[in-house]
Amino acid sequence: MNWVAGGFIFRRTESVYHRLDPRVKLLLSILLFTLAIISRSILELLGIIAFVLVLSEIAKILRRVSRTMVFTMGFAAFIFVLNYLIGKNLLLSVLYAARFVAIVVTTSLFFITTSPDELEQVMNAFHLPRDIVFAFVTAVRFIPVMLMDALQIMDAQKSRGLEMQKGNLVRRVRNMVPVLIPLVVNSVIRSGELAEAMESRAYGAVARPTSLNLYRSSLVDRVVSVVAVVLFALAVYAFYFVFPTQLL
Amino acid sequence: MIEFKDVTFVHPTGTTALDHVSLTIGDGEALAVVGENGAGKTTLIKHITGLLKPTSGAVLVDGEDSRERTTAELSKKVGVAFQNPDHQLFSENVEEEIAFALRNFGFGEELVKQRVDWAINFFGLEEYRRSSPLTLSGGEKKRLTIACILSWDPGVVVLDEPTVGQDVIQKEKLSEIIRMLKSAGKTVIVVSHDIEFLWPMQTRVVVMSRGRVIADGPAAELMLQRETLASARVSQPQLVALYQALKNRPPAPFVHVHDARNWIAGLVK
Amino acid sequence: MAKILRMDKLNFKYPGALHRTIVDFDLQVEDGEVVILAGPSGCGKSTLLRAVNGLIPHMYSGDYSGEVTVSGAVVKDEPMRSLAQKVGFLFQNPENQIFMFSVERDIAFGLENLGVPRDEMRKRVDEAMAQLGISHLARRAPHELSDGQKQRVALAGVLAMGPGLIILDEPTSLLDPMTASELVELLDRIRREKGTTFIVVEHRLDLLVRIADRIVVMSAGRKELDGSCREVLADDRAEGYGLSIPAVVKIGNMMGPGMFRGGKSVPTASELANEVNSRAV
Repeated sequence: MNWVAGGFIFRRTESVYHRLDPRVKLLLSILLFTLAIISRSILELLGIIAFVLVLSEIAKILRRVSRTMVFTMGFAAFIFVLNYLIGKNLLLSVLYAARFVAIVVTTSLFFITTSPDELEQVMNAFHLPRDIVFAFVTAVRFIPVMLMDALQIMDAQKSRGLEMQKGNLVRRVRNMVPVLIPLVVNSVIRSGELAEAMESRAYGAVARPTSLNLYRSSLVDRVVSVVAVVLFALAVYAFYFVFPTQLL
Repeated sequence: MIEFKDVTFVHPTGTTALDHVSLTIGDGEALAVVGENGAGKTTLIKHITGLLKPTSGAVLVDGEDSRERTTAELSKKVGVAFQNPDHQLFSENVEEEIAFALRNFGFGEELVKQRVDWAINFFGLEEYRRSSPLTLSGGEKKRLTIACILSWDPGVVVLDEPTVGQDVIQKEKLSEIIRMLKSAGKTVIVVSHDIEFLWPMQTRVVVMSRGRVIADGPAAELMLQRETLASARVSQPQLVALYQALKNRPPAPFVHVHDARNWIAGLVK
Repeated sequence: MAKILRMDKLNFKYPGALHRTIVDFDLQVEDGEVVILAGPSGCGKSTLLRAVNGLIPHMYSGDYSGEVTVSGAVVKDEPMRSLAQKVGFLFQNPENQIFMFSVERDIAFGLENLGVPRDEMRKRVDEAMAQLGISHLARRAPHELSDGQKQRVALAGVLAMGPGLIILDEPTSLLDPMTASELVELLDRIRREKGTTFIVVEHRLDLLVRIADRIVVMSAGRKELDGSCREVLADDRAEGYGLSIPAVVKIGNMMGPGMFRGGKSVPTASELANEVNSRAV
């Protein structure tokens, strides 16, 4: 579970990258993600991954991203084996595995460097309905709380003799019921309480709520966006017309 | 017997939650652990059943190191009632809820039935036998969690903040249960910041502050040490504060309101 | 003095319930008062609170009769968005009333909902944080805060909306005594600085009676006792209604009316001791 948490949860860090407008951070990740999808060469994918690692270094999150990468290797290996077993070419299988790793790290880069506030900002920029954005932000805010709840529930049930580490797969899944039910029940109760608090703080009073913080993009943001798009175009050109080598 | 031998526990985040704690709790003892939120009280009791393992030092339960056993195994001897019943109730009905732990501990069905009946009877839960535990009131849920623990008759019972959110009548019932546990010879450990609730029980008291045990002794002596208590951000029981402020007082502080009443009535003829 | 709350013959029954949860309840609260609402668990206190801020009947429907008026507005007819600016509600669990990922955003939540312009909002948020001593926590995430801090954040969010009346549902039940005491001090300071009226549901009377003017005792939906703290705590019936009378008060009561020289405050242990010392033969 930890690598998931490490790879996708925002933690406050100071860096030039973090200070970019979140829409720019989203753009960068989307462009890299797209390159990873359309690439047909293992070397290109490795290049993309390397580029993400360079950005991670600039964002001072290299250790977390590389740790995420190491853990995804497990899944990547699985993908490789699966493809090879069903008859795909060796190199093609490696390609698919590499693509998986590239996709994960480009996505991870965005989520690690973007706070929930900024996520909200991005969603608002796309004019998503207010209720959806609010539900999303609140859900993210409660992730750490629910993790704590889950731990406390596990402690309580272990104290009643529940052995979570023993038994075959079926047993272990069944042992999750005494943890999941209280978790779900608590979530339902929580939702009810949140709804009361929302009403009491005039949620929905006005169709267009105002916002405490003003987000404006700076010159740096604009420059980075332009450079990113240009590099993206160059990369696409290179992938398709300059290095049309198959697979490798 | 529970022994803490120079136990230090450091969280993964770096904070030291327990700082060289050494403590021995004998069989049949009654102990209150007090201190402000964050002093390490809950961390302490989590070490008893191995939910947390010491970073250094050792915790022994009847001679066994807590690191050598799973929490489930240790819980057979040490029943811990956590603060929030909503973090453990999940069964279809009250019967099943009590049976859950019994089955986990390997009790045969015949014995399970016996124990469930006893617990329901003892805690006055007969009318809720087939009801969902989630439909019970706050006080009833609390009683149910304690009933669940007593059903497997552990030698040690630990209550973590049992009075939070309870009203006077519910607290009375809790006091009775604790009294009953003591007279049954069980080792009882109550973690609480409710000094007024703890005072009449006149147990041994351990005061914790910032991961350390800063005082350990009988309630009647310890609660007189205002500065020590203040440094742990623990208040004195009202009766003790009153006792200390009186010019003319008996040899020992008042335990119950009527003791104080009678004494004062004698003074202000 | 103006009456900030008037409740006339309020009756309320939840849909499908056998009995009314609130029965013929009359209550009047003056501007600036601090009123404790007490009673055994399940007596209807939480329901009553919700009838004051409008969650009943706007969010919870049922058989509703009688009238509740807050700051001149009839609760039944006034929309929630307007009531939210007149009555603030601090819930019991600090966790479940903080929505946003940063403290200052959460405090601004109500104001954003109301469409308050940015500059005004900034001012009110900063003011609320300063008043509660949490300005240094402005950018923190809620899961990084202690329970006492969370409670302050929630209170700041309520204060920022500028209500004249604030209702608190067992605000200290999850806090340790020292933190609870600090919260009560804060409430007192807000009351003195802004003249806010407070209605507090609490079991832990020993802390609150220090700042309260009145105690209203409820049982099975009805109002049973209503008077100054001193009066109610001296009433023989009070304990029967689940009130936790502080030990010192019990002793003071037993000493009879001559024990204390007037005043509405409730004695502390040292005050009682002084009295006894001076009277001892």
